[in-house]
Amino acid sequence: MAYFMVVLLDDNRMAKLRGTGLEEHIKYMFGGELRLLEVEVNEELKDKILAEFETARVDSRGAITDVPVAFMRELFNQVVEKKSLGPEVVEGVLAKIAEIKEMAAKESEYLPPPEIQE
Amino acid sequence: MSGLLIERPLPHGGRLVERVIEDKAVARKIWKSCNAVYEIKPTLHYETGVPVRNVYREIMSICYGFFSPVEGSMKQAEVERVLKERRLLNEWIFPYPLIFDISKDDLNKLGVEPGDRLGLTLKGKPFAILDIEEIYEIDPEELAYKTFGDPETNPEVVQQKFDKKHPGWVIYRSHQPWVLAGKYTIINPPKFKPPFDRFWFPPRKAREEFEKRGWRTVINHQTRNVPHVGHEFLMKCAAFTGDVEPCHGILVNAVIGVKRRGDYPDEAIVEAHEAVNKYGYIKPERHLVSIVLWDMRYGNPLESLLHGIIRQNMGCTHHMFGRDHAAVGEYYDKFATQILWTKGIPSFGFPAPPTDVPYGLKIRPQNMREFSYCPTCKEMAYSETCGHKREKLSGSFLRGMVAEGVQPPSIIMRPEVYKVVVKWWKQFGYPFCNEKYVINKEKELEVDLEDL
Ligand SMILES: [Zn+2]
Repeated sequence: MAYFMVVLLDDNRMAKLRGTGLEEHIKYMFGGELRLLEVEVNEELKDKILAEFETARVDSRGAITDVPVAFMRELFNQVVEKKSLGPEVVEGVLAKIAEIKEMAAKESEYLPPPEIQE
Repeated sequence: MSGLLIERPLPHGGRLVERVIEDKAVARKIWKSCNAVYEIKPTLHYETGVPVRNVYREIMSICYGFFSPVEGSMKQAEVERVLKERRLLNEWIFPYPLIFDISKDDLNKLGVEPGDRLGLTLKGKPFAILDIEEIYEIDPEELAYKTFGDPETNPEVVQQKFDKKHPGWVIYRSHQPWVLAGKYTIINPPKFKPPFDRFWFPPRKAREEFEKRGWRTVINHQTRNVPHVGHEFLMKCAAFTGDVEPCHGILVNAVIGVKRRGDYPDEAIVEAHEAVNKYGYIKPERHLVSIVLWDMRYGNPLESLLHGIIRQNMGCTHHMFGRDHAAVGEYYDKFATQILWTKGIPSFGFPAPPTDVPYGLKIRPQNMREFSYCPTCKEMAYSETCGHKREKLSGSFLRGMVAEGVQPPSIIMRPEVYKVVVKWWKQFGYPFCNEKYVINKEKELEVDLEDL
């Protein structure tokens, strides 16, 4: 089975994505209103995510979900940084695992609100 | 022709219960006549000590008539009848025991007896009185089991024995063992804090508002959630019921009470529903947001019965019910509410639907399934009519998106609704109720009281 993680894209993220060459890989849902990217995850990385984060699970399509929000935010950062959707993206996230776990521990009490236009 | 028109129903029990003294001079006199005074305490979880209920919310809902014809803390015979037949001693149907419970220690300290008048303070200020008619002891665990039913006694709808994972069961299990029964009267009406103040439409005011707006038929939408577009379509489309024309009004009635971690904050819920009409997704002339105070018991069919009572008392003619209505876990059949309102549940005292039994309800059920986006129809489609594969929106998917700080597309959540979520997220540092919110809410409550 091929595994992947979904990166949701709103206008903020679309702006950051510009110039990465990844635009052509965008998938659409809800009549084109929801944009997303799918990041490739190999067997070894999948096992590592499941081992490191107890809430994480794999759904019937092979999507890895229910990881901490801090993980998901870093996943997007890595997509932009690596300009890629390959396994090196999740590798980049896992390289910061200590930092992510520290933030995840605080997530049950605090989550930074997004900047939106009033 | 007139036979086709549905009229606004009378309150449950025939008349609205109103037990609120507005005149301060009268109130002071009554307060002075109290034999003892007791500060209302939150009910704490019997194991963890976390607040799970505050009886002040029941006193408010009883005295302002949301629970008509209930007038106070139930006597022992009434509790027994409610548990056995879901009827009050005056015959009218009612789902839950409602009691004023205190500890043995507090009872001894107060030294009150039947015939005494107990003054109740809230946040240190005079709030209400309880005219004690009877004092009796209960076994909270037994009360908890009997309130919700069990697979042996109620095989039609109960699938699993209740336990401490059920928040409603926990509420009754956490009651104190001594009950003071008698009528409540509010002598110092609390003031709702913003934003709740503008959503406070107790039954008399709600009925007056319907009259003013020319709403003869009104369908109620029960909520404890921020509305996504699926909810919006549910409201709009369910309102096409009615009589010779669609319902004139849609009443959103949000249950405000003790929160569970992961729920949206009550402030965000009411303002997000308001955004639906403020920004025209449903015209404000047709849509009204309101609140009722109640610590949800999650009793699925029983809760739906209480919802029917509350909204009939507010003057609604119709009530939307969905699958898993007010449910948690798999204690009840997913369609237990639909079974109650279409066939009845004999073991709960309903050989026929609650609208077809003596001393029953007048409000009409409108059972609804769900709306989700269909990429073929290119619109929000109803699960029972669209024949395509739809893009289902799960609550956890949407919550995950919100938590990640990604704005949901407007076909999922209206941008103005999302702005409300973010507004309160900034306020509380969290998009959902965290432990701090839950604890603080029960300390601060939704109201403040003035001196008497
Ligand atoms: Zn379709």
